[in-house]
Amino acid sequence: MDIVVCMKWIPDTSEAELAVDSGGKDIKKDNLDYDINDWDRFAIEEAVRIKEKVGGKVTVVSVAPEDAEEMLRESLARGADEAYHLWDDAFEGSDGYAISRILAQFIKGRPHDLILTGTLAEDDGGAQVGGMLAAMLGLPSATLVSKIEPQDGKVTFNRELEGGLYEAVEMDLPAVLAVATGLNEPRFVSIRAVRKVAGMDIPVLDLGEVGLDEAQVGSQGSKTQIEKVFLPPEGEGAEIIKGSPEEAAARLAEILKEKGGIG
Amino acid sequence: MKQIFVLAEHRKQQLRDTTWEAIAAGRKVAGEFGAELTCILLASNPDGMADQLAKECPKVLVVDDPKFETFNSDALIKALAPILKDRGPFMLIMGNSNSVIDLAPGLSVALDAALATDCFGLEVQDGKLQTLRQIYSYKVNSVVSFKDAERVVVTLRAGSFPFAPAAGQAGSVEKIASPLGAEPLRKRFLNYVEAEKGDVDIASADIIVSLGRGIGDEPEMEAFESLAETLGGVLACSRPIVDKSILPKYHQVGTSGVEVKPKVYLALGISGAFQHIGGIKGSPLIIAVNKDPRAPIFRVAQYGIVGDLHQVVPALEAKIKELKK
Ligand SMILES: Cc1cc2nc3c(=O)[nH]c(=O)nc-3n(C[C@H](O)[C@H](O)[C@H](O)COP(=O)(O)OP(=O)(O)OC[C@H]3O[C@@H](n4cnc5c(N)ncnc54)[C@H](O)[C@@H]3O)c2cc1C
Ligand SMILES: Nc1ncnc2c1ncn2[C@@H]1O[C@H](COP(=O)(O)O)[C@@H](O)[C@H]1O
Repeated sequence: MDIVVCMKWIPDTSEAELAVDSGGKDIKKDNLDYDINDWDRFAIEEAVRIKEKVGGKVTVVSVAPEDAEEMLRESLARGADEAYHLWDDAFEGSDGYAISRILAQFIKGRPHDLILTGTLAEDDGGAQVGGMLAAMLGLPSATLVSKIEPQDGKVTFNRELEGGLYEAVEMDLPAVLAVATGLNEPRFVSIRAVRKVAGMDIPVLDLGEVGLDEAQVGSQGSKTQIEKVFLPPEGEGAEIIKGSPEEAAARLAEILKEKGGIG
Repeated sequence: MKQIFVLAEHRKQQLRDTTWEAIAAGRKVAGEFGAELTCILLASNPDGMADQLAKECPKVLVVDDPKFETFNSDALIKALAPILKDRGPFMLIMGNSNSVIDLAPGLSVALDAALATDCFGLEVQDGKLQTLRQIYSYKVNSVVSFKDAERVVVTLRAGSFPFAPAAGQAGSVEKIASPLGAEPLRKRFLNYVEAEKGDVDIASADIIVSLGRGIGDEPEMEAFESLAETLGGVLACSRPIVDKSILPKYHQVGTSGVEVKPKVYLALGISGAFQHIGGIKGSPLIIAVNKDPRAPIFRVAQYGIVGDLHQVVPALEAKIKELKK
């Protein structure tokens, strides 16, 4: 089975202090650490597990600037067979639609039975690239997928609905599955495993090598544009309890007692 | 003139709440554009649902086909593309549910439309549509516009457009033939799998101590169990804690987990993503401990401590024990 995994390299914003950049259309990113989108860690793990079960080849691909090589190399250490790094300055400013087009163009010319993505990336929160990519390739797709069982020419899986409910689904291959977090437990990658793949070639393909032209990518090839970004005003919401951890805890204990929070 | 369409979402022959919120948003935008609002219902045995929709919408387009019994994205995309293609400029609105997440991206490509997902605001500025979304771990707001405003699909964050029934006269129901042929779908619904039940039911708990990714990768659970016990409450958690198998799924609060309605909700190391907060109903006293002063949880909490939960938790338990004496 030929499996392609799409992985996104994103700034880790969950704990960082954020500020809007001078252009007003994005945040300042130079002080942020980048990492693999959490959902995609589960996607690469799932691909490797399927390969270990039924045989085949795992190819990882990312549309990302230079630094993302680290993520691609780590994926090789996790068990991917080859990695492709798609980048060109012209890709800058691509929305989910333009990214999907780049990925679709890359995948089109390669063997693919199963394409795995994450359901959502935590930077743009778009949850769109998997489904768009599938439509561009003329394939069926599903999101929030777990319990993937490939069979002959088809695949069964569970899709997460609300309130703990799932739907069991069967789908013809080739197909795009956008995985849910928690569908597996990503393996630990040892330093030894990373060292073993240190010499492997990770081809970098530019606009022409992917096979697109400038009008199809970047902000030109996008269908949406960000007019501005802003941080929600501070000071809305919670009353912050000040003091040392002990002082704050003492005040909180009193509040809990007053409000019936001690059962 | 632009046409505003709302796609009705249903499950097990019932319209879902997301449908009404999408209608509320559709009314707002249709009003601002001076456009017509049409609801589209693709279902099996749709008549009952169609009547309900006609009470709230001037026009309802209905397709009856057993292939629409479940909200199957393969069937819906195949059908909606020909239905919407020849109707001119349009905007299609849907709720951002777990079913619509499955449908919207592929549908937007099939319709050659622009897509903005999970929007909590829609505004018409100088005749141009803009949407409000959240990016970067839900900490930053962004205003998104569309290059070609004539073909737009938007999905809405639940709770952003409260619905109120309209007092107007009933709308018209137009039935159209199903565009789907006899060929089998590539994606086939098999069955529903119900939620796993556990030994605690967090849905009925009054006091909840809820743990998020901030507790770390190898947490000492005794400290949290002991705090919950001292408070007379139960332990719950956010999704990553279940993903890491620290607690079983029936402890997960959120849209795809359990809906809770406690009196007190103590959130430890939880950022407050919308899908998490979406599972907290009623209006509990929410208290958050988080080391990031900008964490979205502080916008819904009444009280907060900005700090390291590992320091606050033992101190809090000690104080509560003192107060209980
Ligand atoms: C379709 C869909 C459905 C989903 N359903 C759910 C759901 O049902 N339930 C759910 O919870 N999520 C759900 N999610 C995921 C959700 O979007 C968030 O990713 C998740 O809620 C984040 O969990 P968290 O707050 O624990 O982690 P994070 O967002 O990583 O936040 C961790 C927080 O801990 C803080 N922190 C770190 N260390 C410390 C410390 N020592 N002391 C104090 N604070 C600290 C950080 O500042 C940060 O704010 C869903 C997502 C999607 C797309
Ligand atoms: N630049 C990218 N390169 C490779 N894969 C991507 C890229 N952007 C998004 N994806 C994939 O699409 C999924 C959903 O991303 P998004 O639509 O941005 O929320 C991610 O989890 C990735 O698997």
